[in-house]
Amino acid sequence: MLYKTFLVITLFLMSISGHAKEVSIHENKASGLLTWTAKEEGFSIELIQLLPDFIRAIYAKHNFPKEEVERAASYCMFGTILKNTSNQQLSYRVAEWRYRTNDGNGKIGKELPVKTKTQWLDEWRKKGIMFSWTLLPDVGEFSVGDWQQGFTTIKLPRDSTFDLIYKWSLDGVEHTGTLENLKCPPASLDGIE
Amino acid sequence: MRNKIIFISFLLASMTAHADWQQPELSHNLTPVKNVISASDFELPDMDEEKVKLSKYRGKVVLLNFWATWCPPCIREMPSMERLHQQVDAEEFKVLAVNQMEDADQVFAFTGQLDVDPTFEILFDTTSEVSQAYAVRGLPTTYLIDKKGNIRYRAVGGREFNHPGVIEIINQLIEE
Repeated sequence: MLYKTFLVITLFLMSISGHAKEVSIHENKASGLLTWTAKEEGFSIELIQLLPDFIRAIYAKHNFPKEEVERAASYCMFGTILKNTSNQQLSYRVAEWRYRTNDGNGKIGKELPVKTKTQWLDEWRKKGIMFSWTLLPDVGEFSVGDWQQGFTTIKLPRDSTFDLIYKWSLDGVEHTGTLENLKCPPASLDGIE
Repeated sequence: MRNKIIFISFLLASMTAHADWQQPELSHNLTPVKNVISASDFELPDMDEEKVKLSKYRGKVVLLNFWATWCPPCIREMPSMERLHQQVDAEEFKVLAVNQMEDADQVFAFTGQLDVDPTFEILFDTTSEVSQAYAVRGLPTTYLIDKKGNIRYRAVGGREFNHPGVIEIINQLIEE
């Protein structure tokens, strides 16, 4: 009886703790860049480190002013792939996502909202930039088999370590997961040890 | 033009450094649209700067795909779109690939580097007005439009378009 109670409490605590169910980290052998993949209930999220030069190339190609190219490149950018792996309707809202610094030694910063595509577009419109792609859409409504990708932007210094707390819903039931100890991309490939 | 080719080459080289960005497998699931709505008509220029209207293809099934050259899953699904275009009777079916906010030079430089040269129609939505009318949030997004001009299926994210399951759906729409 005591064992069963312990097991139920443990499972309950695991379910509310929001830790990602299955996490894998992959290092690109050619570049050394890292990819984190979390497979959750009915949902997977993949974060791929993107170099500032890659970001510069993308936005310069779309004729962004130099200062806006550099501003975008100053963010920690991740290629982000979200997938509906369930047989249900999935939705997400980036406005509900948070990040917090985590030095890996128990020193955890306060939770901050992830900058949304809408916030970026508002800033770009004020600068006369009409381009509206590449960033992860704020809101996703995924049917079975749907997936989406785009950039996630985190305002932290280069090589910072942080946790990402993300939410998704399956047929209206909300879920939360956390990817811990993510690393901001280095300034260049030379910066990879 | 030369600068654009150099730039596209640089971009593709950069994307190779981020090779993982291109990894997800493509599924073939198309989602039936619950509340069938009429596809908004539009007129956009093609590669030769000739204006093309969607309504010109009324009576055919149309695969309407929104894409861009910088979008890895768009690139991945493009060969399958070309195979689909080759496999289904052109009298009954049309593929329209609507590029977002790029121009013919950029797309020409890009397609020149693909293993498969697309022969389906590429249109240019340089202001993204059409993608907004279709409530496209991310690329690629694809709609399957029936012969009456109604949106019947939707796919968000890359797909393997010449999968037998997709061809069966298209043939069903052709036979309606």
